[in-house]
Amino acid sequence: MTRERALILVALLAILGAVAWSAWPRELTAAERVDRITSELRCVTCQGLSVKDSPAASARQMRDLVVQRVAEGRTDDEIRGEFRASYGDWVLLSPPASSWTGLIWLVPIVALAAGLAAVLGRLRTVVPNAAAPSPPELAALRERVAREEALDLPEADGAE
Amino acid sequence: MPRWLRLSVVVGIAALVVVLMLSFRRDPHDIRTGTVNKPAAAFTADRLDGTGTLSLRDYAGKVVVLNFFASWCPPCKEENPALVRVWERYRTSDVVFIGIVYEDATDKARAYVSANGVTWPTVRDDDGRIAFAYGVFGPPETYFIGPDGVIAGRRIGAISEATLVASIDKLRAQASR
Repeated sequence: MTRERALILVALLAILGAVAWSAWPRELTAAERVDRITSELRCVTCQGLSVKDSPAASARQMRDLVVQRVAEGRTDDEIRGEFRASYGDWVLLSPPASSWTGLIWLVPIVALAAGLAAVLGRLRTVVPNAAAPSPPELAALRERVAREEALDLPEADGAE
Repeated sequence: MPRWLRLSVVVGIAALVVVLMLSFRRDPHDIRTGTVNKPAAAFTADRLDGTGTLSLRDYAGKVVVLNFFASWCPPCKEENPALVRVWERYRTSDVVFIGIVYEDATDKARAYVSANGVTWPTVRDDDGRIAFAYGVFGPPETYFIGPDGVIAGRRIGAISEATLVASIDKLRAQASR
């Protein structure tokens, strides 16, 4: 192994190690949990803003409630569930895949599959028919070519 | 395009049209989020006039009309005369009105209550916990709680006298059966 290859291998291993380390699950602090939960909750008086990002008073109150629930030892699902009980799945910025709103996640997949099927179907129809002509068809074609070539012959003018 | 694919596209578009038609038919004032047909969240809150606390539990067995309002909210002023008329009509019966101040300064809410003839009990919700428990989007919102303690309906936006009377009478009729 050359020195360059060894260096590349070490670099790749370092990158893989860094990615694995960053993705490794770890215990979140209370503040990190609050940030995560509030970034998933919709501010109920805003247009498309999360509780975390909204400066509205109601968003601040929601955040305070999340802080209190985390301090009380509630799980993330329990806290989200409390808001869902009052506002339905609407209060979650990403609709859950378990309820009927999970169809939202299914639609792009179905649309992609339908598009692929349409493209494949189209490709199949434009593929030329590669079947060889039958002997009578071949004979007729040859005869036609010969006839047309005879018609297109240049007149002998003795130039050559 | 294959026949099955064409059929799927047609069925998909038809389903989308049906869903949109059903959605457009819904009354935007009557969005049935999680709390309707569920037991009303219990609460104890400070009275706006400073005379102690009020607990929803104290009104068990009665028809309760919960109205979330704020002094800064024009539709609240718009609906207030209807609330006053209906309150005067039912105040001696088994119907209770409770006003809940939504995101408002106490002194402004007190001035509003005084200026607009709000004589039914009114409480503060400074941390928004009551509003969250009921799924309030913004004032005005009105909830109808039956004698069984279950939220029978809600109304988002300014409510009319006819809607108030119809909702209250329906709950009273159910209770008398």
